[in-house]
Amino acid sequence: MHGEEVRLTMPAIPQLLRVARLTAAGLAGRLGFNFDEIEDVKIAVDELCFALVGTKGRDGDLTVVYRLLDDALEIEGSGTFTTDAPNPVPSELSAQILAAVVDEHELQREGAEVRFWLRKQRVAS
Amino acid sequence: MALDRNDKNELMRTFEAFAESRDSALRDQLIEAHLGLAEYLARRFANRGEPLDDLVQVASLGLVKAVERFDPARGLEFTTFATPTIVGELKRHFRDKGWAVRVPRRVQELHLRVTKVIDDLSLEMGRSPLIPEIAQRAGITEDEVIEAIDAGSAYRSASLDAGRSDDEESPGLLGQLGDLDPELASAERRAALGPLIGALPEREQVMLYLRFYEGMTQSEIAKHLGISQMHVSRLLARSLQQLRELAEDAS
Repeated sequence: MHGEEVRLTMPAIPQLLRVARLTAAGLAGRLGFNFDEIEDVKIAVDELCFALVGTKGRDGDLTVVYRLLDDALEIEGSGTFTTDAPNPVPSELSAQILAAVVDEHELQREGAEVRFWLRKQRVAS
Repeated sequence: MALDRNDKNELMRTFEAFAESRDSALRDQLIEAHLGLAEYLARRFANRGEPLDDLVQVASLGLVKAVERFDPARGLEFTTFATPTIVGELKRHFRDKGWAVRVPRRVQELHLRVTKVIDDLSLEMGRSPLIPEIAQRAGITEDEVIEAIDAGSAYRSASLDAGRSDDEESPGLLGQLGDLDPELASAERRAALGPLIGALPEREQVMLYLRFYEGMTQSEIAKHLGISQMHVSRLLARSLQQLRELAEDAS
């Protein structure tokens, strides 16, 4: 399954984040992640998607790309929003949470485009 | 349920008499006269994973509250006044049960089954189980496992002070916290976690602390607190959700 890629595009509203999370869980399961690791991925996806979408949602689409590597899952989310989104600077707490659940993560904003990336390594054999 | 004008007038008089005397016989009479309303509203919440009988009871409780609080002098129809109270009671019931209203029963049942399997397997194997292992033990497909563990996220709409668990195997959180290292409860921790976290209930603060500052896994926290791993999972998810909302409100 090396290099398999799944793309999800959806309106940037919080009600649909479940879909992003469920997809992440499904794919992490496919990669042989254990329950704890899957929960970690879900927390990270929630945290990062939330940074893009917020509690009220944004005008525009959120695209989430999942890359299945041999022993890791990479998730990239991005969106270009017409409404003025609050700057998605992760709070210290958010960064702390992300550091605890995934191996690498980043959150960026360039003009109207916001983007996140995370990588979760599978540890279980 | 339609009442003719005479019945209505008579009920109104009974309400007035009850408002005056607080006589419990009158109260019972009023409750009885409106049980149909309670049942009607309970039915609207049926097929969401809770037995109708339970719902009718919950709705009746709401009805009792409504009868007691109703003030006929304000000129409102009783049903207009009572409906939000009863519906509120029903919603609270679902919320306290931990389920968002829309989780289908099948998924709820799967969720409970899978929760138990995960705890059993974690204990037996001394590690967090894999999805295929959970699927095999639970006798369901891997997709169903994924769906079932995600159903835990539906717990998000649970009330801040819920945190209790309805299954006997996993006692409520509150009772477990006495065993914790008292240092955890110190003001120091609260300061370290920031004012936003301070707004969360104590037990959720402890969980966040253990998970993200002590770096314990969900299974370790579950063991530490003597509750199910799934319960830890959904409480954490809920706390994080709340923190985000608080953070966004604050910004």
